[in-house]
Amino acid sequence: MVSATKQGSDPAAQDGGPDRSLAASGEAPEAGAPLNGSDKERQPGLAESTPPGMPHMVFRARIWQRRALIVALRVVRLVRTGVVRFLPGLRYLGRALQKRWRRSLQFRTVLTTLMLAMTSFAVVGAYLSNQIANNLFQERLTQAESETRYNVKQVQDTFDGAQVTDQSSVITLVSDTLSAVEGRGSVIQRRYVFEAMPNQTKPRNRWVESRASDQLTVSVIPPDLRKAVQESGKEQFWASTVIPVGTEDRPGIAVGNKVTFNGTVYELYLIYDLNTAQQTLNEIQSVLWAGGAVLVLLIGAVAWYVTRNVVSPVSHAAMVSEKLAAGQLQERMVVRGEDEVARLGASFNHMAASLQEQITQLATLSQMQQRFVSDVSHELRTPLTTVRMAAEVLYDARDDFDPINKRSAELLYNQVERFQSLLSDLLEISRFDAGVAVLDAEPEDLLHVISHVIEGAAPVAAEYGSDIVFAAPEGSMVVEMDARRIDRILRNLILNAVEHGEGKPVTVTVAANETAVGVSVRDHGIGMDPAEAARVFDRFWRADPARARTTGGSGLGLSIAMEDTKLHHGWLQAWGRKGSGANFRLTLPLRQDGAITESPVQLEPRDVTIPGAPGNIPAEQDNKNMLVLQTDAAKPAPSRGPEETP
Amino acid sequence: MKARILVVDDDEALAEMIGIVLRNDGFEPVFCADGAQALDVFRSSRPDLVLLDLMLPGMDGIEVCRQVRAESDVPIVMLTAKSDTSDVVRGLESGADDYVPKPFKPAELVARVRARLRPGDQKAPETLRIADITIDVAGHTVSRGSDRISLTPLEFDLLVALARKPWQVFTRELLLEQVWGYRHAADTRLVNVHVQRLRSKIEQDPEAPEVVLTVRGVGYKAGV
Repeated sequence: MVSATKQGSDPAAQDGGPDRSLAASGEAPEAGAPLNGSDKERQPGLAESTPPGMPHMVFRARIWQRRALIVALRVVRLVRTGVVRFLPGLRYLGRALQKRWRRSLQFRTVLTTLMLAMTSFAVVGAYLSNQIANNLFQERLTQAESETRYNVKQVQDTFDGAQVTDQSSVITLVSDTLSAVEGRGSVIQRRYVFEAMPNQTKPRNRWVESRASDQLTVSVIPPDLRKAVQESGKEQFWASTVIPVGTEDRPGIAVGNKVTFNGTVYELYLIYDLNTAQQTLNEIQSVLWAGGAVLVLLIGAVAWYVTRNVVSPVSHAAMVSEKLAAGQLQERMVVRGEDEVARLGASFNHMAASLQEQITQLATLSQMQQRFVSDVSHELRTPLTTVRMAAEVLYDARDDFDPINKRSAELLYNQVERFQSLLSDLLEISRFDAGVAVLDAEPEDLLHVISHVIEGAAPVAAEYGSDIVFAAPEGSMVVEMDARRIDRILRNLILNAVEHGEGKPVTVTVAANETAVGVSVRDHGIGMDPAEAARVFDRFWRADPARARTTGGSGLGLSIAMEDTKLHHGWLQAWGRKGSGANFRLTLPLRQDGAITESPVQLEPRDVTIPGAPGNIPAEQDNKNMLVLQTDAAKPAPSRGPEETP
Repeated sequence: MKARILVVDDDEALAEMIGIVLRNDGFEPVFCADGAQALDVFRSSRPDLVLLDLMLPGMDGIEVCRQVRAESDVPIVMLTAKSDTSDVVRGLESGADDYVPKPFKPAELVARVRARLRPGDQKAPETLRIADITIDVAGHTVSRGSDRISLTPLEFDLLVALARKPWQVFTRELLLEQVWGYRHAADTRLVNVHVQRLRSKIEQDPEAPEVVLTVRGVGYKAGV
C-alpha cells in the first residue's frame, strides 16, 4: 500500500531519469488504489503498527471491529430469516425464470444482451475510472511535489537565516515558519509533520522535538516513507496515507524531506489532502454508473423491441401450428407486408390449406367407405338370411327327400353356412379398414372368458380327438378389455390349434405380471417354419394350399384376431417349427391406458428341442409337468414317439 | 290360441320366409312392408309381438319402434343387419326388448320369439319391495307410494328378477339367461341398455341409482 518513490530534489535528477518517471507511473495505479475507498481497510493495519504514543487509533480500530462484527451478525440473521421465509417463493421464482429461459426465445435474447452489455460496461467503466483516478492522482502528486520542494526550500532558508538563540524565540520561529507552510488565509492548503530525526546527538540548543498540524501525529506518516527519508540525503519522497480531518478520514499524499536547524536534522513531511480529487472522482464515477445503467436499460429495451419484432411472428406461427396439429384445420396465420415473415406466413397458410384439403378428403373417403360397408352389410345380409332360412327348412326336411335332393339340401345348407361366415369375416375386416371398429373395453375376468371359449370349442376338439388343457392360476384375472373381441380372438386361436393339432393335446396357458396378461395356445401338430409363422396373420394366407380344410375357415380369422389385438394395444405373435407344433401368444395390457413391458408367457415353448435330437419331449400335461420337464432337460430324456421328428 | 306376430320388413322374400318359419312353429304372422304404415297395421292387427326390421322405407325402424312403444308394451324384437354397437344400442334405447342379427337361423328366431312370448304364466300373488318401490307380481304393477310406474313386460321381469333375490349380485350373463332366456351368453349390451331404461323410469335420480345398483366389474343387484 505504501510506496516511496525516490524523487530527486535536484532538478537534474528529476529531468534526466527515465527509469524514475517510469517507476513513478508504474507505481501510480497502486498508489491510486486507496483513493477508491480502501482507506478503511487500511486503518486497522496502520493502527497495529502504531507506536504506543497513538492509543486513540487503536481504540478506534477496536470500535470499528466491533461495529463490523455487529453489522455482519445482523446481515447474517437477516439473510437467514429472509431465506427461510422467502425460500419457497424464491424457488418458485427461480423455476419460473428457468422455464421462461427454456421456453421464450425473446426472454433469453434480452437477458443475454443485458448480461453482455453489463459485462462490457463494467469492463469499460472500470478502465475509465481507473484512468481518471490515475490522472487525478498524478496531477495532484506532481503539484504536491513541486509545492513541497518550494516550501522545504523556504523553511530551510528561513532556518538558515535565523539569528535566534534563546528557547522561546526558537520555538516561535519554528511555529511561525511551519504555520506559514500550512498556507495563507483560512483554507489549509497543506499540513505538516515536523519531527527530529532519531538517533542523532542532541545539541544543547535543541528545543524543538516535533511539531504537527492540528490532529496530526507522526503516526500518519507511513514507516516506509520515514525510513526512506531518514536514510537518504537531501532527497524528496512521497507516499499515500490517510489523514484525520475533523471526524472523517481522508486520503492524502505525504511528501517528506529533511531540513536542518541549529545543527539538528528534522524530517519535514507535508501532507496534501486528496479529498477534492476524491470527490471529483466520486462524481465522475457516479456519472459513469448512471450513464452505464441508462445505457444498459436502453440496450435491453432495444433488444426487447427487436427480438419482439422477429420472434412474435415465429411464436404466432408456433401457436397456429399447434392449433392445426390439435385439429383446428381452419386456423391460419396473419400475413402483413412482404418481408421474410410475411413469406413464411403465406407459405405456412398454403401448407395448412393443402393439409386441410387432404384431411377433409381422407375423412370423406373414410366416411364413404364406412357407409359402403354398412350398406353392403345390409344389402347382402337380408337375402342371405332368406337363403339361410330356406336352406335350413330344406335341410330339416331332408329325410323326406330322395337321395339326390337330400344330398343337395345338405350341400346347400353347409355352403350357405360357409358363405355366411366368409361374409361376416369380410365385413369385419372392412370395418377395421374403414377405421370404424371401436373398442368397447370394460374390466372383465379373462379366465372366465377363456373357460367359456374352451367350453364352446369342446365339441370340435372332441371331433378331432384332442384334449384342451387349461393351465391357469387360481382366482380371477380382471383385464380391461372388449370381451366380445377377446372371445373371438381366443376362439380363433383355439379352434386353429385344434384343427392343426393332429389330435394331440392343445395347451392354453395364462399368466400375468404387473402390466400385462399373456395367453398362449400351444399345439403339437405339424407345426410351421418361421417364414410361415411370419405370414400367418396375412389375409387369406394358407400354410399349405393343397391341404384339405375341413372346418371351412375363411382365411381371415387370424387377420381379424390381429386387428382385434391391435385395437386393444396388445401383441399377437406366432411361433412354429416343423414337426414341433405351433404356439400363439396373445398379450394384453391390464389397463387400456397402460403399456406392455414384457409378456408374462413364453412365446417359444420350453419343451422344444431341435427336431431329430434325442430327448424331444412329448406334449406337456400342464404347467407343473412343463416345469419338471424343464429341469430334466439337461439329462437325455428317453425318446418318445417318432412322430415328433420330421 | 295362436300368437299373432307382426313382421315389419320391406324385403318380401325374407318376410315370406319368416312367415313360413313362424307358421311352421304355430304362430300367426301379419305382414307390413312399409314403415309409414306399420303403426296402422299394428293398431288394426293388435299383435302379441312385433318383429321389426331396422332399415325400412317410409319410416326408420327406430322411429316405428319408438311410436309402437309409446302406445303399447307389446314385446318388440328387432331384426338388424348391422351389428355395430351404435345401431344396436339405438334400437334398444328406442324401446326394443331384444334383437336378432341377420343372418339368423330359423331356430334362433323362433327361440327369441318364444322367449318374449312366455305366457304371462299364472304368477302366485306376491308382493316384493326394493328401496321405496313396491312390486305386485301377480297384478303386474309397480308403484312408488301411491304412484303407479308403467313398465314394459321385459323391464318388469328384469326388476322382479333382481327384487326376488336382493342379496344376490346378478352378472349380466345371468340376467340374460333369466330375463331374456338366452342359453349361451349373448350380447351384454342388452342388459346395460335395459337397466338404463329401467332406471330412468323407477329411479328418483337415474344418475345416483338407489333401486338397481351397479356392482362394478360384476353386474347389478337390487337396492335395499
